[in-house]
Amino acid sequence: MDPMIAEFLNRFILVLTNGFIWALIVALVALGLSLIFGLMEIVNIAHGDLYMWGAVLAWYGVTLTGNFWVGVILAMAVMGGVGIVLERGALRPVEGIPAYTVVVTIGIGYILQQVALATFGGSPQKMPDPFPIVIEFLGVRYPGYRVFVAGVSTLALLGLWVFLFKTSIGLWIRASMQDREMANAMGVSVSKVYAVTFALGAMLAALGGALASPIVQVFYLMGYDLLVLAFIIVIVGGLGSLKGTLVAALIVCPLESVMTLIVTPTEARVISFLFMAAVLLVKPKGLFGA
Amino acid sequence: MKRRFKPTLSGCVLAIAVIALVVIGPLLPAGLRSLLIDIMIFSIYAMAFDLLFGYSNQFSYGQATFFGLGAYGILLPVLHFGVNLWVGLLAALILCVVFGLGLGFISVRLGGAYFVIITIIFNMVFYLLSLDWTWLTGGDDGLTFTAPPVDLGLGQFSLYNPIVNYYFILAFLVVSYIVLRRLVESPIGKVLIAIRENEDRASLLGYNVFRYKLLAFVVSALFTGLAGALYALRNRYASADYFSIILSGEPIVWTIVGGSGTLIGPIIGVAIINPIIYYVGVFWKHYLIIIGLLLILIFRVSPKGIMGVIRSKIMGRG
Repeated sequence: MDPMIAEFLNRFILVLTNGFIWALIVALVALGLSLIFGLMEIVNIAHGDLYMWGAVLAWYGVTLTGNFWVGVILAMAVMGGVGIVLERGALRPVEGIPAYTVVVTIGIGYILQQVALATFGGSPQKMPDPFPIVIEFLGVRYPGYRVFVAGVSTLALLGLWVFLFKTSIGLWIRASMQDREMANAMGVSVSKVYAVTFALGAMLAALGGALASPIVQVFYLMGYDLLVLAFIIVIVGGLGSLKGTLVAALIVCPLESVMTLIVTPTEARVISFLFMAAVLLVKPKGLFGA
Repeated sequence: MKRRFKPTLSGCVLAIAVIALVVIGPLLPAGLRSLLIDIMIFSIYAMAFDLLFGYSNQFSYGQATFFGLGAYGILLPVLHFGVNLWVGLLAALILCVVFGLGLGFISVRLGGAYFVIITIIFNMVFYLLSLDWTWLTGGDDGLTFTAPPVDLGLGQFSLYNPIVNYYFILAFLVVSYIVLRRLVESPIGKVLIAIRENEDRASLLGYNVFRYKLLAFVVSALFTGLAGALYALRNRYASADYFSIILSGEPIVWTIVGGSGTLIGPIIGVAIINPIIYYVGVFWKHYLIIIGLLLILIFRVSPKGIMGVIRSKIMGRG
């Protein structure tokens, strides 16, 4: 084979793999966004900032203890608690009115960003690679951490599926998503379901942030980039559709990743945007929208 | 003709406010005048958002797209082709109408939560592109240019004279207010309000809801672009920051705080919020926390903002 073509194929496979692994991380964040919207009609502008805080807390955990797991667990535990406080304290009065939830979550986002700026600082930080090993497979060398991320996110996605479809709390969440009043009448505490779901979404975002922190730079405004990507995915998949969100993540992220072989990352994002626009023109409610 | 000039309370208050602005302009200290110029420019931006949200219930979180397009729409022709002020302004406005039609065509028919999300996405796309295409926009560093003189036929006035700049902006604010006020009180405005109150009913009555909402979207893009162009002129500068999502959040803050669907409320919002940012921002860089708390608490205090309080408490209306 022509060495140029071999070289290109090698890079293509590498970039495509990166795209799929990134898709798994983004899917965690986007699924939280989709769950929260599907249940409470909250358009959570602060979701990117919950992800950012996941990365920041993981950075603190790793810097202080040197153990990556401590960082991940710290991020998820703290953000889960923050999620309950935000839902109960700030969002409860405006749930169900998307425009108002945007206003309130913009406010939450500003506060989350400024607190990060005040404590973590304004300069991007690089997290050291927690598993600096290289895995070699069929002549392609691949960073071990990314393989680890693929494993953990897949497990987390499976865990989410088990939680939503095999536990009674998951059943209550899905029941409330379908018909809030009926679920309430059947004895489901919709109020508790809301708090749990928002906390779950925040924990998924934090897990995404923690897993992404060694790959991307940790920065107090890193949330916007992911928020936009997650929104594109949620729209392509259909707002509130979990299956759609997962499928869309697995289409959009690898597509964007492969595009970076030809164009700049920004132009690749524009291509994702155009892809989304095209999907909307054909299917205004997204691929799996009801 | 007579009926049109029937004096109303709010009309009188406004006329007095404009006369006061005309009189105090030259008397103000330079710093305060500069702040007032910012407030007047952002008032146009805020009213444009109110037309979109307050009158046609389209909640956009991406208006900085048009602010940036307006700014570069005047900057680039003046910088590269040396066109005069009016041609530059016209170019900026045309650019905003064209993009308003294009982006509106994709987003307006979706409505609700989809609309919010799409506007965020296209705003971010424009922001990233303006950072990336430094050959066109200057990116983060931006581009500076020389503001062309205002040619009124009688004579030329330089915008580098702060008093000229002040009256120039004030004139645009007054004209924008009158045009928007007449639009929302025209039959078109009534249809927009009908759509805001109940989209399905307006549709059943035979109105083409999509077309009216698209019209509001494009007119809003036009006035937002005007504000952006004036801001670029006033600073003789534009950068990728003119497209930033933070700037898209500002008209939301002004309008919600001041009271939506009133045109005046958003101006009050600007006049309250911007001095706070201006003075608090000097000694506390985390002033966005104040804005954040305001946004979280506003719906508990008064969902209709300051104008809602004024209307119910002072004028006795609901």
